[in-house]
Amino acid sequence: MTTLRNLQEAVGDLGRDGLRSSLGWGVSWWHVVHAGALVMVLALSPSTYTRGVRAACARHVWVGTAPMLPWFALLASLASVVIIRIVVVTAVSYGLTQYALEMVIRVLVLELIPLTAALFVALRATVPAGGELTAMHASGALHEQEKAGADPLRHELLPRVVAGTFAVLLLAAVSCAIAMVLAYFAVYGFSIGGLGGFTRTLGQIFEPGVAMILALKTLFFSLAVALIPVAAFLRGPQSTVAPGARSSRELDSLVRLFAAILVIEIVSLVGNYY
Amino acid sequence: MSDDPTPARGANHLEFKATLLLITLLVLVGGAALYLSYARGAFESTQQLVLIAEDSEGVSVGMDMTFAGFPIGRVRRIELAPDGNARILVDVPIKDAHWLRTTSVFALQRGVVGNTNIRAYTGILTDPLLPDGAVRSVLRGDATAEIPRLMAEARQVLQNLSAMTASDSSLNASLANVQGFTDKLKGPGGAMGALVGSDADAKKLITALDRTNTLLARLDGLAAKADTQVFGNDGLVRDARTTVTQLNAMLVDARASLQKVDAVLAEAKAVGANVNAATTDLGALRADVETSLRNVDGLINELNRKWPFKRDTELKLP
Repeated sequence: MTTLRNLQEAVGDLGRDGLRSSLGWGVSWWHVVHAGALVMVLALSPSTYTRGVRAACARHVWVGTAPMLPWFALLASLASVVIIRIVVVTAVSYGLTQYALEMVIRVLVLELIPLTAALFVALRATVPAGGELTAMHASGALHEQEKAGADPLRHELLPRVVAGTFAVLLLAAVSCAIAMVLAYFAVYGFSIGGLGGFTRTLGQIFEPGVAMILALKTLFFSLAVALIPVAAFLRGPQSTVAPGARSSRELDSLVRLFAAILVIEIVSLVGNYY
Repeated sequence: MSDDPTPARGANHLEFKATLLLITLLVLVGGAALYLSYARGAFESTQQLVLIAEDSEGVSVGMDMTFAGFPIGRVRRIELAPDGNARILVDVPIKDAHWLRTTSVFALQRGVVGNTNIRAYTGILTDPLLPDGAVRSVLRGDATAEIPRLMAEARQVLQNLSAMTASDSSLNASLANVQGFTDKLKGPGGAMGALVGSDADAKKLITALDRTNTLLARLDGLAAKADTQVFGNDGLVRDARTTVTQLNAMLVDARASLQKVDAVLAEAKAVGANVNAATTDLGALRADVETSLRNVDGLINELNRKWPFKRDTELKLP
């Protein structure tokens, strides 16, 4: 009987824990959506961009993008060259050279580069920015700013979100352009004779639906990468007092970010190929 | 990303750099949008071509229509017509439309790997241009559809081959006969024996050949004698030549005689003319004679009437 009672209690605890964790999960996502809506409204309102906010945005955009851009472009180029080479050589060995370019563009430009850019920006910029905001929140710096008359949402949150979104879009655009140029040279060699065929193949790949899915996917990647980590600090200061809370919060936002990216990628794949 | 206050100059500098990055992004996105629009043919005027196919399997929107391996059109839409056929709407850029003529033929070819191509063939490039919105039916060239037929034919060929190479086949029997023939060739009669069948017949043939040779020798002598008879000093040819000379002389005489006959005939003609004139005169003479006779008749009748010894001319039967 004791064993049975213990088991019942254990099951009850499990149910309560599950309910609590489910509620917590839902609430945290709600925070993300709420912060996202707030930031989007702020970002799209021209009145937001006062001189101070503009300066903060410019600083975050430059600091959050410029140092990453050359390195990411270089890494993306190297990875692109390797993948393009593998695809082209495989296609030639199977006698399917006419599909090599299409496959390269589909694999790199439509799928891999936007995903890599989003993950790169998340790890290098937005997740540290989220941690920074949480630390500021915990140390009371934001409250001090609020007391001094400044709006931390406009001066701290918005510039980081704008910078994260911009970084993903720019990195993806630059790397896609480089990958296309590399793919052209890999398939046609150093000659402009294949430009007509290349343009035609691109026209065939980028149907309106595919182009729209690529644009929306990159946009949602950038929003997810910019919003999810920095929105974490809106979840209240109670957990931040726990030891090691900052790293736990960063890990949490990272997991949440990966989940969101995965969902966006799956939806885009379904949209593209079904 | 420090929160240190930035000097105003530095802030302006950062703002400029951020604007530069923003412009870069806008240029990239805008350029990509323009380039893709161009690649999809948004800036070129096109004319429409409707291809009617029984089956549109493998055809997809956006695929190319090629002419001599060059893409000259793009499938814009595929729809099912009320009669159950597939209507493939192809956009052909105006600058490439001159390759399509009214006599052009369109084929839908499906390869073994699964790729499908729409190909246009134009035999006579001087025919009238294909009008906008032209409707043409498509020929199907299906490589995979040929495989079962090919297999059936290959099986038939293999069966024929195995029938030909079987131990009781006619080819084998023929080869055996050939072997027998070559054996005979190697035999004492050689090729002659192989041809006539037996050695005895071969001997007969040789005998016949000998006799023929003898006959030919005699014929040779005969021919020499005939030569002497015909072409010798007293041969037929000499006599014939003399005869021909004499005949020539006779012909000359005959020609002279004929000329004389001609003269005689001319005279006869003149005589005839004279006779004709005489005949005319005879007509007048005859009229005079008839008149004289009529007068004499009248005179006699008169005499008879007046003559006392008129004779009773009536006959009385007893």
